[in-house]
Amino acid sequence: MTAVLPARPATTPGEVPELLLEVAAVAHAADGVRALTLRHPDGAPLPGYAPGSHVVLTCGDRRNAYSLTGEGAPGEAYRISVLLRPDGRGGSAFVHGLAVGDRLAVSWPRSAFAPVATARHHVLVAGGIGITPMLSHARAAVRWGRSFELVYGHRPGAGAHREEVAAVCGERLTVHESTPGMLDAVAAVLADRPIGTHVYVCGPAPLIDFVERTAEELGWPAERVHAERFSADLDPGEPFTAHLSRSGVRVPVPPGVSLLAALEGAGVAVPSTCRQGVCGECRVAVVSGRPLHRDLYLSEAERSAGDAVMCCVSRSLDDHLGLDL
Amino acid sequence: MDPVGRTVSVLGFGDPGRAIVHDWAAATPAGRLTWCVVAERADDATLTALAAQVRTARVGWRLMLAGPEVDVLAARAVATGLGLLDAEIRTAVTGADHKRVSCPHCRVITEAEVPVGAEVPCRGCARRLHVYAHVSRRTGAYLGFMADAEEIA
Ligand code: FES
Repeated sequence: MTAVLPARPATTPGEVPELLLEVAAVAHAADGVRALTLRHPDGAPLPGYAPGSHVVLTCGDRRNAYSLTGEGAPGEAYRISVLLRPDGRGGSAFVHGLAVGDRLAVSWPRSAFAPVATARHHVLVAGGIGITPMLSHARAAVRWGRSFELVYGHRPGAGAHREEVAAVCGERLTVHESTPGMLDAVAAVLADRPIGTHVYVCGPAPLIDFVERTAEELGWPAERVHAERFSADLDPGEPFTAHLSRSGVRVPVPPGVSLLAALEGAGVAVPSTCRQGVCGECRVAVVSGRPLHRDLYLSEAERSAGDAVMCCVSRSLDDHLGLDL
Repeated sequence: MDPVGRTVSVLGFGDPGRAIVHDWAAATPAGRLTWCVVAERADDATLTALAAQVRTARVGWRLMLAGPEVDVLAARAVATGLGLLDAEIRTAVTGADHKRVSCPHCRVITEAEVPVGAEVPCRGCARRLHVYAHVSRRTGAYLGFMADAEEIA
């Protein structure tokens, strides 16, 4: 199958400029995991990126976010690894259908999961295909001489990039093929690391929840704990009410219904494209209350400013969220 | 007492700091208090001892500082300089008359009893410094602003 998509110009203010890239190589990274190398068709160098960045691929009529697995140096080809999700919404099947020479629209890299520059030590925790941003972190840490370790848990025999990760990390890698073994190892690490350490986790929601809960119990401030969730993996969330400050309308948002869907149901039109927190289209200004950010779009600084929310996936920490609508 | 710290160290300065340190120590559950010191001032010896505590601490540790602002700020600067976050430090300031003011010209720090907005001569280069209401995170000193900057320019 060949899908040639035109590059999309950056039209809306929130939208990131896109690149039209060519598939330069396709490799098997593990059972069900395809690794793609993407290059500029005319060989032009690609922009560098912060470790842990992702790109948004236009997959037919869907837009999906995938972590870049490289070090991030300017000029490097972009590498992504995609797990086929037979029950997914088609993005991964699209990527698995790509062949060398196919062209596709790829966003500029976005950084929402970068290493903290002042950290004394970095603990990387990866579950399954959550290894992809961690491979990027590990490569960059080796390159810049940063202190780090990687705890990698995966199903027996199904570890994507296993050899590559071992070659990059050496002694700093521990691998676990059973869930209890993985959780014990993570808890032991969190119980005894020097002050100034930051922990980064990417993987299935239960692993992220375990890391966040255990870290909190052991006295880690939230500022030291960084998580990247798979966008398909969001829980239904708590109910809250959106207060629309301009119209005075109140819109209840029940669990399992996105803020975007609730607004649409109330007759409030908000532009949206990906509806999974990656494209930046559905940004709404927040005037009161604290957003619960679950998107991959806003930067860390924008998140902590708390004055905008990506309403397709994000919710509210407070019972009420005031929106500039 | 910070309920989320696994271990806690407490450092107080002078008599006002001592009283707070005793209250904090009494409120800390047994076994969690790893270091409890009251010093006269945030002098080099005290700050060196504090730095040794920070260097060996593990994540989950909290530092609590009590006493005059000038000492608390100097101790906090040492701790944050070694990677401690604001969320890991609790402070109780008992007074703020005394200040350390850094000179933008010669970098020397002048100690004086001076309110924010007033002027103090720099002990390094004798320039008049206006005490600006901003504390450097790195040095824990107030920023001095050359009072006659316009005239020089
Ligand atoms: S971020 Fe794309 S629609 Fe919300």
